Amino acid sequence: MDAKKPDYFRPALIAGAVAGLLSGLPLIGAGNCICCLWIVGGAAMAVKLLAAGSSTLLTAGDGAMVGALTGITAAVVDAIVSLPLRSFNLGLARRLLDKAVELGGELPSGLDDIINNSGVFSPGWFLLGLFISAAVFAVMGVLGGVIGVSLFAKKALPPAAPPQTPPGPPDAA
Amino acid sequence: MMTALNPRTVRTIWALTFGGAIVWMAMIFLAPWLAARGAAGAARIVYAVFAPVCHQIADRCFVLNGHPLAVCGRCLGIYAGVLAGLVLYPLIRGFSRLALPRARTFVFVTLPLALDGLAGVLGIWRSPIGLRFATGVLWGAILPFYFVPGLADLVRTRRERLAARKLAKSPPAT
Repeated sequence: MDAKKPDYFRPALIAGAVAGLLSGLPLIGAGNCICCLWIVGGAAMAVKLLAAGSSTLLTAGDGAMVGALTGITAAVVDAIVSLPLRSFNLGLARRLLDKAVELGGELPSGLDDIINNSGVFSPGWFLLGLFISAAVFAVMGVLGGVIGVSLFAKKALPPAAPPQTPPGPPDAA
Repeated sequence: MMTALNPRTVRTIWALTFGGAIVWMAMIFLAPWLAARGAAGAARIVYAVFAPVCHQIADRCFVLNGHPLAVCGRCLGIYAGVLAGLVLYPLIRGFSRLALPRARTFVFVTLPLALDGLAGVLGIWRSPIGLRFATGVLWGAILPFYFVPGLADLVRTRRERLAARKLAKSPPAT
């Protein structure tokens, strides 16, 4: 039984920071609309980093663990990055909606109120949003991590070095 | 990649995932249902839950009672595919072994969704909502075959490490 534990935190922090940054940026963050692309991709990247720095065979469980940590890190980074960009994102959303109305598109009722209310920062909503994002991103991260194991993990260990034979007793002669 | 393990663990994880997927799917339909009944505040919270994972653009969503579902057609397809995959999981894999799908299978089911999504982003073509739903179902159906073994293996590994730690701490037998 191999009780050796790979170091999950470094790859999860690196990949989670990248995934969170991409998720928080305007327009680029929309990549998450395709089944959390940045989170699933980030978790798979974390597994690639883990596989590169680990001499042991990675299991699906290792992928799930590093993926979940990547998702949680990404949620925190995303929340931090999104905070200063909030007014920019709202302005962008408003311009897009105005354009859609100009082109004759019909908006769902209440969307205008939602955008107007989103401009008001509330710590409670921020924490609730962070909690929901962390939970959803952790699940998506598990998925990305296990997919990463199936794509990037080593399939077999390199052959072990032959055991060194202890030096024999000195010659009596 | 095969590992023997306790089938009860896999069955429990499968059942919990199945329950979670049904709740998640129900919430997608709950949002427009609440909106149609005038519970705008509650509907807003449910829509907000899905905001981090879907653009929720109204004309790309299926509609219930005059209100869009909480996710777009493609995402709905993915979640419907996850449910279908979970139904098929015991029949295809069973609960007594852990195996991940082959990389080429993953590429095969991902390609339609990726090409359709990429073509839409690049403005090459705008696919009908039915096609988006179908490519989503295909991709979503493979996801439980990663998720369930991943979590089951995580539980197994943690149990093994815990047992190894206990063994190391226990006093040697005289």
